[in-house]
Amino acid sequence: MNSATGRVPLTPVGQNHPVASLDRVSKEYRSAGQPVRAVDGVSLEIFPGSFVALVGRSGCGKSTLLNLAGAMDFPTSGEVRLDGVATSSLDDAGLTRLRREKVGFIFQSFQLLPTLSVIENVELPLLLAGAPGAREAAKLRLDWVELESYAARLPHQLSGGQMQRVAIARALVHEPKLLLADEPTGNLDTVTGNLILALLRRIATEQNTAILMATHSSEAAALSDVVVHMRDGRIEQILQH
Amino acid sequence: MSRLTLFYRLILRPLFREPLRTALTVLAVALGVAVVLAIDLAGNAAAGSFRSSIETLMGDSDLEVTATGGLPDAVVGTLATLPYAIRVRPRIQDFVTVVATGQTVPLIAIDLIGESADQQIITVASGEEALKYPGNLDGVWLGSSLNAKAGSTIRLLINDHVRDYTVRGVFDDSAEGGAIVVMDIAVAQNELGRTGRVDSVLLKVPDSPPLAEWQSRLSGALPAGAMVRPVGSRTSENQRMLAAFRWNLRVLSYVALLVGGFLIYNTISVSVVRRRPEIGIVRALGASRRSVLAAFLAEAACFGFAGAVLGCALGRVLATGALKLLSATVQALYVSSRPGAIELTPASLVIALLIGVGMSVIAALPPASEAARVSPMEAMSRGQREYATRVHQGRDMLIALGLAAGGIICAVPPAIAGKPLFGYLSAILLIAASALAIPAVADGLLHTSAHGLQKIIGVEGLLASRSLIGSLRRTSVLVGALSTAIAMMTSVGIMVGSFRQTVTTWMNDQLQADLYLRPAGNPASDQHPTIPNELADQLAKLPGVAGLDRFRAYEFSYEGLPATLGAADFHAVQPFRKSAFLSGRSASDVYSDLQGNDAVVVSEPFAHKHHLRRGDSITLPLGDRRVPFHIVDVSYDYASEAGYVVMDRATLLQYLPDPDPSNLAIYVAPGFDLETVRAEVQKTIAGHDILIFSNRNLRAEAIRIFDRTFVITYALEAISIVVAVMGIAGALLALVVDRRREFGLLRFLGAATSQIRKLILVEAGLIGLLANLVGFVLGLALSFILIYVINKQSFGWTIQFHWPAAILVSSLAGVFLATILAGLYPARIAIRLNPIEVVHEE
Repeated sequence: MNSATGRVPLTPVGQNHPVASLDRVSKEYRSAGQPVRAVDGVSLEIFPGSFVALVGRSGCGKSTLLNLAGAMDFPTSGEVRLDGVATSSLDDAGLTRLRREKVGFIFQSFQLLPTLSVIENVELPLLLAGAPGAREAAKLRLDWVELESYAARLPHQLSGGQMQRVAIARALVHEPKLLLADEPTGNLDTVTGNLILALLRRIATEQNTAILMATHSSEAAALSDVVVHMRDGRIEQILQH
Repeated sequence: MSRLTLFYRLILRPLFREPLRTALTVLAVALGVAVVLAIDLAGNAAAGSFRSSIETLMGDSDLEVTATGGLPDAVVGTLATLPYAIRVRPRIQDFVTVVATGQTVPLIAIDLIGESADQQIITVASGEEALKYPGNLDGVWLGSSLNAKAGSTIRLLINDHVRDYTVRGVFDDSAEGGAIVVMDIAVAQNELGRTGRVDSVLLKVPDSPPLAEWQSRLSGALPAGAMVRPVGSRTSENQRMLAAFRWNLRVLSYVALLVGGFLIYNTISVSVVRRRPEIGIVRALGASRRSVLAAFLAEAACFGFAGAVLGCALGRVLATGALKLLSATVQALYVSSRPGAIELTPASLVIALLIGVGMSVIAALPPASEAARVSPMEAMSRGQREYATRVHQGRDMLIALGLAAGGIICAVPPAIAGKPLFGYLSAILLIAASALAIPAVADGLLHTSAHGLQKIIGVEGLLASRSLIGSLRRTSVLVGALSTAIAMMTSVGIMVGSFRQTVTTWMNDQLQADLYLRPAGNPASDQHPTIPNELADQLAKLPGVAGLDRFRAYEFSYEGLPATLGAADFHAVQPFRKSAFLSGRSASDVYSDLQGNDAVVVSEPFAHKHHLRRGDSITLPLGDRRVPFHIVDVSYDYASEAGYVVMDRATLLQYLPDPDPSNLAIYVAPGFDLETVRAEVQKTIAGHDILIFSNRNLRAEAIRIFDRTFVITYALEAISIVVAVMGIAGALLALVVDRRREFGLLRFLGAATSQIRKLILVEAGLIGLLANLVGFVLGLALSFILIYVINKQSFGWTIQFHWPAAILVSSLAGVFLATILAGLYPARIAIRLNPIEVVHEE
């Protein structure tokens, strides 16, 4: 199916309730006094366990779409629903709560806090949410990304791949339903990047977590279930593997 | 020109993008400069006022003859009949109170008949018409600032009596620095009860031989007790007497500047850290190390210059307030003075500019040098940089320990030329030691407390402590600035609190009488108006009066410094008075030694100034004689910094036979009601303008004067604290800008805006807490230096250490609160950041 404005369900077999749904979502910014439409009438439904790749040139709206899907921003028009909750119905505190519970983020430049140890970085989302058992959950996640022996280290003592694995552990520590990854392999060499992609693939498959990943990488896109091509803020093409 | 353009683009222009932070830094320098300038201007004005009040009507005289208790009239005759062509002008000088306004003004009495042809006098007293008629001499001539008209009457309080005087003339006193009352000398002798005596004689001598030769010749012709000194010697004495007071105040005023220096250091450090990539680029493009160094020093100089210009204007404003406080202190503790005009001279302005720019450039040297050392290829991350800072902690701690040891050693040597220079050096070394120890202390404390803070405050406690460790250099500088201000607040607070408690304890011993009497009028340490002795006799006979102490005081000069000579009726009060002495002997033993002997007790400040001890001998000028006295002991005394020499009243009367006392102390007999005795006293003194103080009132008055004395000290401390807190606010603003990605990331990770706000406030609070801790420990050490070294060597007072706990706790809590409040605005900025923008910017 190919649609820039219509409804594009990406429904894996046996899944009925989308984790995130975007319905004719647009986002407009003002740049130098002129309106710029970063996302233009996009509709998407992302279901648990699906691995969706957003591809397109720089500035095509991938990151904006991620932020909208992650309840970091409000759309100018249309509706974003996270686990059935419309983001536009929430205030800032409500959005924060929603993010804490449902969403995990992974960034291109890892974004670990340099002053916190590895384990402290991982447990941070739970601590911010005031959730109990943060340390145990963080240990489990570190174990899962095979970095439990690095728990006491500071980020600058790790390699790029290790830092990204820590970032993945952090993004998963509160067991989000949706994992948003913005160019997660952009700062990594090919081998390390592939390891990270394999890890993301495992997350979707083994933990039934929906993943929405913005990427320039064809290898990355090849590993996903669905590839959404974007151009000038619109969905240009959707390919299902 | 191209370099200037580059300097503007790379250094100055970015400052305008953070106008608030730039303004705070400039204001911090401005306040530091303003305080130094204000204290200097106010000090000059306060000291300058001696000249106007005491040297008024000196005319073109060269020498001045004086004697303790005054000179007999005969001396005037002796001088006038010497075979030299000298002009002789006798003077009486005292103070009168204008009853209508309560204003105390100098009274200058001149020989109107003898000097009526003297152009100098006629110029001053433009009511000269009256001078031609001796019959009109019984009146006063007033300075124009008293707003009286010739022919009117004015009611004046002189000693204990009030009288109406006819205003014979009014003269322009604008050049005299304030109002003056002029009276004929014969009338003044009568009014002041100084018949047959004058206070001084002014002499105009020929140009040859030199003045020293005239001084020697004339001294030989006069009684031994008469002192012949160049005119203006008294002003010089007063200036010398005030030197320690002004010196210490000036040193204190530099604290705000020092705190400002810390903040400049921080500002330039931030600037260097932020511009590291730019430094690398410009170095790669051919800029030399020297150019980089010069650029950052020039940035600091710009802050210094802007701050100094603003500081000059601010300093002039602050000087007015400082002058009021200083004048009141000088009046109460030293000498009668009137505030002179505050003169903002070009020299003062140039010095203020040099101080502002110089301090800023010196403070910026370490970070600027560091910037210059960066190689073009060097691209260390912030984490690595901070790690590098951390690994120097051990070395810095060792240096700190060495400096602290040096500080302790420097507390031992004596003063140099009366100045506690080693004491100041000791304080500076301790402050430097503390500054170098802060990174290790902060790192250690924050590391050990991080998880505890997390449990108490929440995750913000962990994040804040880790963030402060992560930017340890910045944290250390901020803690250094605030802790220095807090240390000064603590040390001066402990010193003043200890001093206050010591004075209170001393007063409890010293002030044993039930009622105290003194002539009405404004009190001043060097004014001793008298009460008729006959009145004292009547009071002594009243029922219920168990003892009456008649205390007489004179101002005198000893070895070039003013002091007070006093005499108490030890025989009458021996059972009641309880003075404390350095030897530890009982008061009754010391009083027994005083009676019937040429013996004195000297106060601790007097002994300190003149290096005297118990058992020494001291020769005092008394009337026309110079009399050797034996020092039987040194007393603790906190009433006057100039110092006291006290003898028995009977001894003094042998040499200065003026029985009128300056003050009376009445001891009420057991079984008599105080109020009844007071009523009897009141009835007896009816018709005299005499003030009665109960014991409690007198103590309260003394403490009020004491507290007022230190208001300026507190004001200086407060300004230092304000400067430091402004620095914290500015630094937190910079921190918000530098860590915006981190705040944005936290929002992505689920942090609420309230958590971001809390994080910044916790960081501000931790900086405040660390600064309080370091500042308190440093302040405690400095308080020992202040009490036992600087105060002792400057003023000679023994102060017992005392904890002013309530004041300390409230001050420290206040500073802590102010630090947290300083984080409010930066926190507001932080929560308004758009997390999407700041996280994705590269």
